[in-house]
Amino acid sequence: MDEMAATARSQVVVVPAARPSSPPRASIPVSSSSAASAPPQQTATAKLPFSAAVPASTSASGSFSVPIPIASDGLGPEPSTLTEPVWDTVKRDLARIVSNLKLVVFPNPFRDDPGKALRDWDLWGPFFFIVLLGLILSWSATAKKSQVFAVAFAVLAAGAIVLTLNVLLLGGHIIFFQSLSLLGYCLFPLDVGALICMLKDSVILKMVVVTVTLAWSSWAAYPLMSAAVNPKRKALALYPVFLMYISVACLIIAIV
Amino acid sequence: MDEGYANLPTSHLLGSVPAVTQDDRKPSPPAAQDAAATSRLQEFPPAPGGNGGGYRPPGGPADGDVENQADWKGYFNVASYAPYFNVDTDVVVDRLISSIYPMDGFYRKIDANPDMYGPLWITTTLVFMLAAFGNYATYLMQNKKDLDIWNFDVGYFSWAASVMYGYAVIVPAVFFFLFQYFGSRQSLVRFWCMWGYSLFVFIPASVLLLIPVEFLRWVIIALAGGASSWFIALNLKECTEGADLMVLMASASVLQFALALFIKVFFFA
Repeated sequence: MDEMAATARSQVVVVPAARPSSPPRASIPVSSSSAASAPPQQTATAKLPFSAAVPASTSASGSFSVPIPIASDGLGPEPSTLTEPVWDTVKRDLARIVSNLKLVVFPNPFRDDPGKALRDWDLWGPFFFIVLLGLILSWSATAKKSQVFAVAFAVLAAGAIVLTLNVLLLGGHIIFFQSLSLLGYCLFPLDVGALICMLKDSVILKMVVVTVTLAWSSWAAYPLMSAAVNPKRKALALYPVFLMYISVACLIIAIV
Repeated sequence: MDEGYANLPTSHLLGSVPAVTQDDRKPSPPAAQDAAATSRLQEFPPAPGGNGGGYRPPGGPADGDVENQADWKGYFNVASYAPYFNVDTDVVVDRLISSIYPMDGFYRKIDANPDMYGPLWITTTLVFMLAAFGNYATYLMQNKKDLDIWNFDVGYFSWAASVMYGYAVIVPAVFFFLFQYFGSRQSLVRFWCMWGYSLFVFIPASVLLLIPVEFLRWVIIALAGGASSWFIALNLKECTEGADLMVLMASASVLQFALALFIKVFFFA
């Protein structure tokens, strides 16, 4: 509906796009026509799914323009995230990463309720933290840099998956991606520790910093993991988590 | 969903909470399934007809098509492996202790409830310990010789992983087939369980191997290898129950000792 209004407006003024238009999506094929034939196209676009309307209007106007979705005049549903500016998407994802981080890694009143923490899980945060750690380790290594990155990435990524499967196999109740997300976010303290170790080269400092951040990571991962399984099997579920973080901590001490 | 599959667990999708079933669907090769069916005597609820449970409904047709389909689905479902992780913390600790204490009875402990948790995490722990302590040990030796060039050899991780996982998976499987060939019916899962727990003694050994005295290192690894081989021999004897297969038992012990020597030579040079 707002496409109609937008298309009507786009006839008058060509709005420069916030980003280049995406290639036409594989949906109902629309015969693109010139702007002059916009009125019959308006009715056509009104019936088409949202994604098809976008390339139709862009190809119709002949230049890189994206109709700005306007919902405030009540002309239809909220704009989807496909047409928003990239900065909005990035800002939203960053905000989510920060809020998940605050929930998981820092003390907060919801810690004892594993259902609340990371209800809005995402995998961008874990991805950034794992890659950052891999890059720090790889950059600091003196030999076999690419193998160091590969080992760090594989241990963390495969480790998170195996740990989640471990909890599931022990009869625990956990949501697969929520657990992956949690284990990735709990890597944040070790990332901070690795950065500090990279900046200052002293063995004592490394030991202290890595130990502190390892304890912090483990403390962050403890509630969700221990709540997921039967109390008699708590140690069985938690031990592999500690094993993974300890091995990463050893890697940091030895390499960075 | 097919109405014939009345016993299927309720979800096959990763990400949802799986129903833990009491299926004892064993990931054994289909060829050995019939042969091994009679050896699965003490597993969870013994299925009617001794067919090993699985996804076949109690009164359903046992034609090949149903069996193959059930086989295929079983391997990819997380819940079908859950019976092998049905252990509590105290059970696992008990098994670990009895694996290094040179007494009888380990096989009896795992007979009713073989678990894969122990082997999986013992081998994983050993991989990390060998890689980490192996590097640290070479660092200490080089420190003693006053050499300045030492860097963390990441290759140790790859080597440790290949050797340990390969040994823990392939050797029991090979012995399982050899025992089958010689007529003694065994259980692959129990072999995996036993061999996995036999590796536990190398964990404290790898800590002790940090001592940078060469002679002491050899003594330690000899003791650890000996303890592990003895454990394997004892338990193989118990589970084969008198079938005269000394050759296989001897070769299992020798292999275990060879593994110990390899660990010393490669990681703690």
